[in-house]
Amino acid sequence: MLRSDPEKLIRKVMARFVDEEVIPVAREIDEKGEFPFDLFKKIADMGVLGIRYPKKVGGSGGNTTLYCIAMEELARGLLSLAAVTAMQCLMATNGLYLYGTKEMHEEYLRPALRGEKIGAFQLTEPEAGSDLSAVRTLATKASDGYVINGMKTWSTSGPYGDFHTVLCQTDPDKKLRGLMFFFIPTDTPGFSHSKKFETLGTRTSALSEIYFNNCHVPPEYMLGELGRGLDVLLTILAEIRIMTAALALGLHRAAMDDSIKYCKERVQFGKPIGKYQLIQAKIANMAVNLEAGRLMVDKVTHQIDNKISCLNEASMGKYFTVESACSATDEAMRIFGAYGYSMEYNVQRYYRDNRFLLYGGGTHEVLQTTIARQYLR
Amino acid sequence: MNIIVLIKQVPDTTDVKLDPKTGSLIREGVESIINPDDRHALEAAISLKKAEGGKVTVLSMGPPQTIDALSEAIGMGANEAILLSDSAFAGADTWSTSFTLGKSIEKIGGYDLIFCGRQAIDGDTAQIGPQVADYLHVPQVTYVFEIEKIQKKNIIVKKRLEDGYERVQCNLPALLTVIGELNVPRYPMVGRLIDACKEKSPIKIWNASDIGVQAKDVGLEGSFTQVIKTFAPKFKRQGEMLEGDAKKIAGTLVEKLKENKLI
Repeated sequence: MLRSDPEKLIRKVMARFVDEEVIPVAREIDEKGEFPFDLFKKIADMGVLGIRYPKKVGGSGGNTTLYCIAMEELARGLLSLAAVTAMQCLMATNGLYLYGTKEMHEEYLRPALRGEKIGAFQLTEPEAGSDLSAVRTLATKASDGYVINGMKTWSTSGPYGDFHTVLCQTDPDKKLRGLMFFFIPTDTPGFSHSKKFETLGTRTSALSEIYFNNCHVPPEYMLGELGRGLDVLLTILAEIRIMTAALALGLHRAAMDDSIKYCKERVQFGKPIGKYQLIQAKIANMAVNLEAGRLMVDKVTHQIDNKISCLNEASMGKYFTVESACSATDEAMRIFGAYGYSMEYNVQRYYRDNRFLLYGGGTHEVLQTTIARQYLR
Repeated sequence: MNIIVLIKQVPDTTDVKLDPKTGSLIREGVESIINPDDRHALEAAISLKKAEGGKVTVLSMGPPQTIDALSEAIGMGANEAILLSDSAFAGADTWSTSFTLGKSIEKIGGYDLIFCGRQAIDGDTAQIGPQVADYLHVPQVTYVFEIEKIQKKNIIVKKRLEDGYERVQCNLPALLTVIGELNVPRYPMVGRLIDACKEKSPIKIWNASDIGVQAKDVGLEGSFTQVIKTFAPKFKRQGEMLEGDAKKIAGTLVEKLKENKLI
């Protein structure tokens, strides 16, 4: 039976959306530093936010491969928009999807997949980054639920999130086994947040601190089985890493596309700079790294879709593609010469935005250690 | 309101390159898309269906890869799609194409409206819509940029003229060819796209025998005209757009004038 390939079709449609709707306004959005809610709603209207969820909860019935293809294309247009979209599709909603009640799905999940409510995911604390055992936000058992006290930082969508999936410690003596995720709506009394952080890159995605002061939540807002709280994170850790890799591929492509265009146009010593071998070497390295990264992402997303364990491969994919994107954006700045240093061209944004990818999904220092551990056991 | 939309998959470029030896289109590296005017036709049909009820059937003739255009149409909200694909259809001129589409529409039957784009960006003939209307003996309005009113037995539309417009009322069923001014086409829904790729998707594939035609009546054999030679026009002068801020553009311009020994 003759049918279209969904991966090619979704990529093509997302690419057109990015070319027509995102790229023409990306620079202006970045300069304003405000989140583009209108574009986010357009993405939601296409069903992208539910791409990896089944239709029975309001999703689009896709999978991780299609999700990562969509995120790569969005990142090619504007990384900060892609990052918030990726968060909404995965980390902000997956705990709610897996462990939320039917009522929670109706009140929060379905509206989130329609882009009407925004979710956030809260892991990091000032003293707990890669080391989650240091989480101090406390969830204390009460007669009718839990009381949350503490703070989180580097919360993507924190200032305008409608609900939050928050990692809390239920029993400090149990360390990692005492950690649990809690679902906390923003209108819970005792919830507040700081002003939006000023950041080097991804300036439109709002990051902030979040404070919980005696936030009382019902028992069903604890996501998952007591003692297995980290499952909320571990079940999607490979997906988070490979999604970050897909974002890196998109940023890499943006830097490479602009570089190719520029080095065909920019004439020095009587010929386009693309005719010089040192520039060609930069383009060649960008192309080779992009192709290698694509293969890694493609392999891992299909492994996830086929329920094959692949955390190590996902870590490698994230590490490689993000380092490649950092290199590509740096080389793009060099190809553009002094114009790369001006705010007139987009390459400066790619260069600033690439730093965002280094932290989410695991710092590269931690990733290298965990990758090496697989071989040194 | 049962609506049929005729669409064509075309190369995504207005800068078509031809192989100088064979005269055929160079398709390598050029993405295929739904012809831009046809996306407006699809949008018009889908909006009308949402407002009036009924269904939208999309019809396209082309090679197997045209399935992607039909999947996208399903993604936008069409109820069903039919791909006319048969080696017998190959090489058709506009008359032969219109005949094949007309035969297919007769087989579908029960329609109130047929929407087409004004013209395709690869051929620019603007002949298919009018010829299909002629074959089916239904009234036609071309260059439609506004649908003012639709009633059970007739429709009132505005058609663009060079120096204004005409307000036209015509009986249904009718065929309308539309222009980009009519609407803003929606993007397909991801969930519908995924479903369109499944075996059970509402896309049918019809060949010559499915629509009751013989090979001699369609494709190249059934065509009254034949393309003898295709060639790219030779440009004596070609413009170049300079980019950047005013200072950079001025600098580049001076460099180029110097290079060409004009200053």
